[in-house]
Amino acid sequence: MTHTKTFRTLSAAIAVLILLTVVSLLWGQYPIDFDTFMGYVNFKLFGGAGNDTYTLLDNIILQIRLPRILLAILVGASLAVSGAAFQAMFVNPLVSPGILGVLAGASFGAALGMLISEQWYIVQAMAFIFGFVAVGVAVLIGSMVTNSRSTIMLVLGGVISGSLFTALLSIVKYVADPYSTLPAIVYWLMGSLTMADLSGVLYVSIPMILSILGMIALSKYFDLLSLGDEEAKALGVNVTLIRLGAIILATLASSLSVVMAGMIGWVGLIIPHIIRMAIGPSHRMLIPLSAVVGAIFLLLADSVSRLTFSVEIPLGIITSLIGIPIFIIVLKNARAAWN
Amino acid sequence: MELKPIIAVKDLHFSYHKHTVLEGVDLSLHRGEVVSLLGSNGCGKSTLIRLMLGLMHADHGDIWLNNKTINNYSHKEIAEHIAYIPQYHNVPFNYTVMEMVMMGRVGKLGFFAAPSHKDREIAHESLHRIGIEDLSSRPFGQLSGGQKQMVLLARALTQEVDTFIMDEPVSGLDYGNQIRLLGLISELSTQGYTFLKTTHYPDHALMVSSRVVVMNKGRIIADGKPDDVITTSMIHDVYGINADLVSHNSHTWCIPSFAKGIQ
Repeated sequence: MTHTKTFRTLSAAIAVLILLTVVSLLWGQYPIDFDTFMGYVNFKLFGGAGNDTYTLLDNIILQIRLPRILLAILVGASLAVSGAAFQAMFVNPLVSPGILGVLAGASFGAALGMLISEQWYIVQAMAFIFGFVAVGVAVLIGSMVTNSRSTIMLVLGGVISGSLFTALLSIVKYVADPYSTLPAIVYWLMGSLTMADLSGVLYVSIPMILSILGMIALSKYFDLLSLGDEEAKALGVNVTLIRLGAIILATLASSLSVVMAGMIGWVGLIIPHIIRMAIGPSHRMLIPLSAVVGAIFLLLADSVSRLTFSVEIPLGIITSLIGIPIFIIVLKNARAAWN
Repeated sequence: MELKPIIAVKDLHFSYHKHTVLEGVDLSLHRGEVVSLLGSNGCGKSTLIRLMLGLMHADHGDIWLNNKTINNYSHKEIAEHIAYIPQYHNVPFNYTVMEMVMMGRVGKLGFFAAPSHKDREIAHESLHRIGIEDLSSRPFGQLSGGQKQMVLLARALTQEVDTFIMDEPVSGLDYGNQIRLLGLISELSTQGYTFLKTTHYPDHALMVSSRVVVMNKGRIIADGKPDDVITTSMIHDVYGINADLVSHNSHTWCIPSFAKGIQ
């Protein structure tokens, strides 16, 4: 695909995301018409005479819908970009952000946090810390088995670390109070954006956006990493540094997504596939476009989650239910984008 | 006065898991040369070129690139002097030919820089020089082995270096493409490019080399002009087969006899 076409695709995707964001702000159990919304935006930006509706909209838009929409965008973008980065690094299009155990580690951390404290910030801190601990364990195991920085050993380390933290998570579930803590853990693990509050989302948006931008900066090197270490080095890439940087950034982005929204599967796997099918595998466009389309996907999934049924279905279930058929449909064509 | 070599390998030793792979290797590569590195499987050819590219580190000995040892260069700096052309291979993601060739520019870019219009022009020019401009938008994975090897050569040209190290460049190519690729190497060498290539074919070494280096069991056993180095006794010693060398139109050809037993 030519550069002009690719930039056009990226611009179109951003336009769709903006449109979807506005629609999501308006659409819900309390529908807001466009004129009222524009009046409200005008009031917030330039001031003027307020009314009771605007006070209500403050609550609906700023307190409920906007944090949730922003979080869907951030989490969708983080998971899709992390997935694409890991797929390039491990030269495998079937890799998902959980390859090095970050999701298992963060889930264990969050569950442990719920077990020992009722403070939500402790749960989030534990999820974040154990996400990194799990990746650290994977890297340590990978480097202990052999001195070479082989990606296969790193993947093996990830499998071991993931299994370890999944087992530890089971222990936490086993000892958790079956009437209060256990249901909370189980529900949280299904993934949800309901806990989003504006200040929390704004805080977490800084490291999430920085890691996404970092991975976009590294994207030109991902093409070379996917050729294998030797060829990438011979083409002038500091493979160790780029890989380490990408692991840290992808771990940061995906562990923060678990911190804020629990376990949400499939985004990191299918979005890069769909993008590759649409614009080809070059990571310079794949990574930014994955961010935008990942955000669109999760925003849509969240809309389905909150609007389709009277009871809200956990987001992780929706992404799987939507993701699996999409994956089956695109798999045949996506195959053409990788050998 | 002897010209200063581009790359000079001095008393190189390398072992892998206590198995000696290279033992006291000395080798130099001068500007404009086409050096063919001959030897049987496992004799250490590929290890030697990996060491020369800074992809591995020797146990003992030095590799000099211009005025510094290779250990004092970063991968980025080595890529500014030497281009590596591996055997053609499949890549996991189906990049276009242009995307593959543009990868030769990435090492030259700053951390936050994107490839410029000039970078794309250089890539087009490289494709043009190799004569495969028409392939630029084709997926790399759908090309023939010969075309893939040409693309990797074009990528090396985009690095804008004048020294190329090739690992068995004709391996897996059909006969026609083998000869075409050798012709291209010969043509580029007349334009001032320097080549070091490993090969399994004495005929190819005789066809396109200014110098032939023969390795056996981790040592260099011969180094000189092709007609002086490729002899019936060398072929017998290295490959364990008998062969006749015949001259035709001022060119020497190697005609092997059948042999039994795989080594």
